[in-house]
Amino acid sequence: MAALIDRLRDPSEKTLGLLLLAPAFLLLALIVVYPIGKLVFNSFFDLRLSGGGGAARFVGLENYALVLTDKDFWHATKNTVLITLITVPGALVVGLGLALLANLPFKKMGLPMWPVRLALLLPWALPLAFAGLIFAWFFHTEYGVVNDVARRFGADEPTMWLLRPGWAFAAICITIIWKTSSFMALILLAGLQMIPRSLYEAAEVDGASRWQQFWQITIPMLMPSIVVALIFRTITALQTFDIPYTMTKGGPGNATETLAMLIHKTTIEYLDVGYGSTMAVCMFVLSLAVTALYLKRIGQQA
Amino acid sequence: MKNLFTAALAAFALVLATGADAQTKLRVFSGGQQQRPDLMKRLFDEYTKRNPGVTIEIETGGATSELQRQYLSTILNAKDPAIDLYLIDIVNPAQYYGAGWLEPLNAWMGDAATAMKPYLPVYATSNVVEGKIAAMPAFADAMFMYYRRDLLDKHKVAEPKTWDELVAAAKKIQQAEGNPNLQGLSIQGAPIEGAVCTFLLPYWSQGKEFNDAAGRMTLDKGAAAAGLRQWLAMVDAGVIKKNVAEVKTPDTVNEFKAGQVIFAINWGFAWDRFKDDADSQVKGKVGVMPLPAMPGGRSATCIGGWQWAVSAFSKNKPEAARLVRYLTSPEASKFLAAEGSLLPTYPGVYTDADVVKAVPWFKDAANVVVAGKNRPMSRDYGQVSDIIRTTTSAVLARTKTPDEGVAEIENRLRRVMR
Repeated sequence: MAALIDRLRDPSEKTLGLLLLAPAFLLLALIVVYPIGKLVFNSFFDLRLSGGGGAARFVGLENYALVLTDKDFWHATKNTVLITLITVPGALVVGLGLALLANLPFKKMGLPMWPVRLALLLPWALPLAFAGLIFAWFFHTEYGVVNDVARRFGADEPTMWLLRPGWAFAAICITIIWKTSSFMALILLAGLQMIPRSLYEAAEVDGASRWQQFWQITIPMLMPSIVVALIFRTITALQTFDIPYTMTKGGPGNATETLAMLIHKTTIEYLDVGYGSTMAVCMFVLSLAVTALYLKRIGQQA
Repeated sequence: MKNLFTAALAAFALVLATGADAQTKLRVFSGGQQQRPDLMKRLFDEYTKRNPGVTIEIETGGATSELQRQYLSTILNAKDPAIDLYLIDIVNPAQYYGAGWLEPLNAWMGDAATAMKPYLPVYATSNVVEGKIAAMPAFADAMFMYYRRDLLDKHKVAEPKTWDELVAAAKKIQQAEGNPNLQGLSIQGAPIEGAVCTFLLPYWSQGKEFNDAAGRMTLDKGAAAAGLRQWLAMVDAGVIKKNVAEVKTPDTVNEFKAGQVIFAINWGFAWDRFKDDADSQVKGKVGVMPLPAMPGGRSATCIGGWQWAVSAFSKNKPEAARLVRYLTSPEASKFLAAEGSLLPTYPGVYTDADVVKAVPWFKDAANVVVAGKNRPMSRDYGQVSDIIRTTTSAVLARTKTPDEGVAEIENRLRRVMR
């Protein structure tokens, strides 16, 4: 006992290191390892809260076999991947445009800086569900501003944006791009401001055009920021929930249902925790695979 | 002497403490704001006045029946004894009782047939599971057909008895009024709970049943598709508006209130909105009638309503059951009707002189509620409801044909309802 106290009073390098790591390790174990472990554990059970007082039944890989043949799961996965493939590059392009705009020397032109910065921050500061509700009103058949504008330009028959599968999908993608490009822009703006002015000055001396400067200096110097922004954006895009949930609730039918929405519906509305967990594990693996791909790319760059 | 005094004080404190223990504290889940916890509180106050040994704590929950079901399923699944009594939606007794979450009330109320006799039949059947009383009816609700009495009178149109008559009546009034924004009929087509009724109403009105007494599905696919086709035909005829798949419960209320709708199907709460809201353009111009039927079928409506149930995990079951008896008495029903226009579950209360004076429209409402049917009873009602409302909405948005929609509903429900 005394020896132990002595050792704690004068710990070796190794003991000290472990002691200092312990709080962080415990915290991570509690809020990351335990929930994920429990999720994987549940995915092997037939666990429905709708009845039977928690009578969970071990079913092994049965849930996973069900997932493989579940049309709804693959449909939702397809939607999620499509949303990711459309909105991530979309937000990157729009975000880069916004960042370049915000990086212009407003002060030198005698213009105030804050309107641009505010416009840049506002979509980012809005809660996702809030943005979804606002755009749902924009696209509403009767009261929406989109159809109002269309009517002023001579469209006689109002388009039912959120009731047509293709249009509803497009409306959701537009909303997501609007909402997320400001986050992209913020990261990219920080990156832009790190690029030394001297590079551009040297390029100008050498007679490089604006276009050449952009492709030869801005983009390569911005690459690390772009990759970071893409990783964050891709992971959140794979988890898309709030905007389609508030705009269409996955409708019409389940045309715009994403993976996160299907998991929410199965677990929270159907109270089928076992099967919902299985789908959540599959989604987790998907996110993990995508992140690993990005990280590998970063590793190669460094 | 001092010691004696201390001992006496301690003894006195002990008496006080045990006295407090003799108090029964009941915790009650009283639904959301729509279930009028303010009125329930007045009933509880009256009860505790008459029963000084009881104190009652109220808890309220989510705004919609779905949110409440998610919350209650979670705590009941955890066998939480904290709440003794629950106010639950009519779609829930089957699930909760089947899961072993509700205490059968036969021990206190007597056998099911006798205890349920005074209530409207649909509430008697919906609250009794396998001969056991799962819950006792608190107040009723139903989908009503509201109509513009003034417009029907003006154009000399009688109350339609069939859906075809309703289309003819609506078209006649729409043409005569010459207002392009005047809708013939407003129903709920968005994927919300109301869309379950939108699916069932035309189906039931052909005299068909969705499930048998044991909860097995008895879906007649032809009739179900015919019901959906009828809504679409009304859209094509300009009686129902084109974006019906976007219409939610409040949209119907607001548009009817603004004088833009001739016929509207909605829950009972809408009546007070039409009558009392400051911005209502239709005060004193509204009538209520039984829902139309298909030729050869019969009028039917979707029933709602709320029941009191005792938790199987409560530590105060006898006291809780006594409170349920009071809350579901004719006296309480009359109070809720007169003070809050909450529909009675006792047929007798509809014609009670005081109630008729306070809420005159209840005499018309009685005819509608009597023709009420309950939505499918299932342990997995959340799933059943989601499948029906999502598919119905997709059919009304014309992304699926009625036949495809009905086939999908049958396929998906067969896995759930067996």
